[in-house]
Amino acid sequence: MRFRQLALLGTLLILISSLSATDKALGQSTPVDIAQNKIVQAFQILQQADLDGASPAAVSQLASSLNLALSYEQSAIQLLPTNKTGSGVYASLSLNLSTTTTVQAVSLTSTARTQTLLSQIGAYSLALSTGLGSTLLVIELHRVKNFVRKIRWRRLRIE
Amino acid sequence: MAQTTYRVRATRVKRRVLTFVVLLASFSLIYSSIAYYALSKAPAQPFIAWGVFSPSETLSNYFSGVGMNVTTHKVLTWHFEVTNQMGSIQYVGIVYRLGNSTSKNPNATAPASDTPQIGNTSRFIPNGQTASINFTWSINSENQAGGLVVLNININGQQVSPPVGAVKGLKFRFFFELWTYDLAANSFLYGYEGPGSKVGNWLQIWFNAA
Repeated sequence: MRFRQLALLGTLLILISSLSATDKALGQSTPVDIAQNKIVQAFQILQQADLDGASPAAVSQLASSLNLALSYEQSAIQLLPTNKTGSGVYASLSLNLSTTTTVQAVSLTSTARTQTLLSQIGAYSLALSTGLGSTLLVIELHRVKNFVRKIRWRRLRIE
Repeated sequence: MAQTTYRVRATRVKRRVLTFVVLLASFSLIYSSIAYYALSKAPAQPFIAWGVFSPSETLSNYFSGVGMNVTTHKVLTWHFEVTNQMGSIQYVGIVYRLGNSTSKNPNATAPASDTPQIGNTSRFIPNGQTASINFTWSINSENQAGGLVVLNININGQQVSPPVGAVKGLKFRFFFELWTYDLAANSFLYGYEGPGSKVGNWLQIWFNAA
């Protein structure tokens, strides 16, 4: 019984300490840090979309958005020592823009993957059906020849 | 007699089925190989090319025809052109450092960490595109410290006073290092990921504070 109580107390202590550690970690993240992390996250997803075969135009458009988010973040960093409110506004702008870009990049990744899969299915289906057509042509070539011969005979008879 | 005819027919059918299967497999293999080749990306060596351009859009004449001398408050507007041919979008950073004639150069594997960093900039560059990044600078003031001239510089609107001096203000140099964001390391790393290893890339421009 005593052992059980001790074990419960120990578990509670571990839980409380881990929660307070999380609070500390969250407390240490400044708006600029959060904005920077979000930009990196958006970049990671956009790069994946690019590697998955997203259209260059779409990637370029999202890259422009990320560059704008980056410039807001730079403004936030520059204003941080003198104007914390202004810095926060820029950090928030950066965060919003990179969040929107992340969502768009996720959608782009999904579209790119679907498009790649469809084009692969299309290409290999075409390959297989062409293979089937070629096989039938080779196997039934004698019938084709016979058919041509018959037509020629008919023409000769008519003449 | 009927049984023999049946056997002959069965053998013929078997032969035709076997021929059909072999031909189908062969043709499918050939056409699938063509499809695979058509769908595959052409092999290409990844690289990032870059340069510092003068206001006249050249890789020379950085000081508008007055040698290497830069007078106080003279504003110089240069820009970097960075081309990404890495096969995917890259998060590229450029680190600026100010050195003198005795500063250790960066190399193919390591940046010039001993030389003070005076600024940086970063940009997302899609594959196959070139980014233009401004580098506008001027010398605000020159100060004497221990027989050396040290500078207070304005770079892209930011004032910096790097702890680097040069005798009579001669032979200062900017180091520009190319860094790329490594998602695995979750930070910028010097150079870019080449075939098999990191490729360090740096540029330098000498000047005299006149």
